[in-house]
Amino acid sequence: MSKMTNVSKDEKKMLRKMFWRAFTLYTAVTPAKQGASGFCYSMMPFIDHFYKDAKQKKDALVRHMAYFNTTIPLSTFIMGIAASMEKENSKNKDFDANSINAIKSSLMGPLAGIGDSFFWGVLRVIAAGIAVSMGQSGNILAPIVFLLIFNIPTILVRYYGTFLGYTLGSTYIEKIYQSGLIHILTKAASIVGLIMVGGMTSQMVKFTTTISMSMKGESVLKLQGMLDQIFVGIVPLGITLLCFYLLNKKVSINYLIFGVIGLSILLSVFHIA
Amino acid sequence: MLYEAIIVSLIVIATVGGAELLGMTMLNRPIVIGPLVGLALGDIQSGVLIGASLEAVFMGVVNIGGASAAEPGLATAVGTAFAITLGGGAGVALPLAIPIGILGLQVKTLLYVGVIGFFAPVFDRLAAEGKERKIVLLHYGAWVLQWGLYGLLPFIGILAGSDAINAFVKAIPQVIMNGLNICGGLLPAVGMAMLLKLLWDKKIYAFFFLGFILVAYLKLPLVALAVLGAIIAVTIAQRDYQLSQLTKKMNAAPATAAPAGNAGQMDTEEEDFFDE
Repeated sequence: MSKMTNVSKDEKKMLRKMFWRAFTLYTAVTPAKQGASGFCYSMMPFIDHFYKDAKQKKDALVRHMAYFNTTIPLSTFIMGIAASMEKENSKNKDFDANSINAIKSSLMGPLAGIGDSFFWGVLRVIAAGIAVSMGQSGNILAPIVFLLIFNIPTILVRYYGTFLGYTLGSTYIEKIYQSGLIHILTKAASIVGLIMVGGMTSQMVKFTTTISMSMKGESVLKLQGMLDQIFVGIVPLGITLLCFYLLNKKVSINYLIFGVIGLSILLSVFHIA
Repeated sequence: MLYEAIIVSLIVIATVGGAELLGMTMLNRPIVIGPLVGLALGDIQSGVLIGASLEAVFMGVVNIGGASAAEPGLATAVGTAFAITLGGGAGVALPLAIPIGILGLQVKTLLYVGVIGFFAPVFDRLAAEGKERKIVLLHYGAWVLQWGLYGLLPFIGILAGSDAINAFVKAIPQVIMNGLNICGGLLPAVGMAMLLKLLWDKKIYAFFFLGFILVAYLKLPLVALAVLGAIIAVTIAQRDYQLSQLTKKMNAAPATAAPAGNAGQMDTEEEDFFDE
């Protein structure tokens, strides 16, 4: 954050405003332009500050009313970059204003890729996994713990992302891309995610068969015991992998859900579980 | 039922709509909504239990790039409300929550495409005219409109549907109820499969099985598993970083280091490795 020294007081104030406004990115989300209105709304403090001329102001508003869609915690980073480019554009006559939207659209795809798997696939899963195991034992703190685990890191990323984007500008992010650092971070995050999903598959997918054979009124063979000796949780693991296989075969999720409901009722009808 | 209908509808607006207003802060998840509905209806304990089991079911259902299977928020709010007013816990909430969640997604999509979608050109026009105030007004106005309409769904559903639902729940035979309980245990498999689709990679999929056996055999709590996972990930990331630095060095000076083809390259790799 050493570069923060050349950000003026006014700019800091505007950046904070942008950080708060960015929460509403998808408030009026439309199919055609996704978070366009939210992006434009977040950029307004800068647009008002940098452009006094009405024509330039309108151009800037139109520029930021363009299609925008990314993982929301990373949106402030892109906004920061866009704001720093608007500043450059307002000062430098030779600056190509089209490059602002070009940078926006070149960043939102890749950042959404990392963001979706990190924030939705890993952080949310960790938070939900911990909260569900608390909630299943009736602990009423579960929702609070869930919201804190997810939101504290997320909001920090949003806050610092705003300033980081503004100070580093667009050249730095290209460097990070070329260095392959993004790839390493994505892989590391996915590893945590996979471990958690594995653990949750064991903890949350539940199946116990009631089949047993009895001789002279004494039960001599319990199928579940035998299954457990082969591999604990073999049925839940098998069903999860089967669902995963079917999803990859492009079977719709709704079919899968109804399939599992149907299977469960059959298991009950035939007294298997 | 009027009180229940109003309060559940307000909770849906505040959580499902609130998540969109406050930047996807996860207010709309079952683990949050279940306890909230429980609190409003005077049975927070059941609310937490139902919220937790529905969260397990809907864990993989997350809106990524607009593709989703159900809307877990409405499903949880209405399912929990009926389970608490009729009695019966998660066993009653689950069979109600799934169809309601699918219906909820249809309505949400309809509002998104058929109502709010028409404002996109209006936003463009306002921007071209430089009318900032009106943009801000419409930005929030669209939210009020969308979620006000969506909030009618639980309101009408609870007010009009409670007799029908009550009769329906009472008419479910025991063998089906038992089946639905089994289903509550198996459905999280679908959610886990959806998460796997997001994370699966040929190079690292073994970690899924590591997580599984650590919990199945060693009974590690998930908090410990998360920390362990982080340690493994940091270690691997450090090694990957070193490797990428090495490759960069090799690529930077290939002419001097590798006159003898592959064998020469191997040598420099080793030397660099020991230099580190």
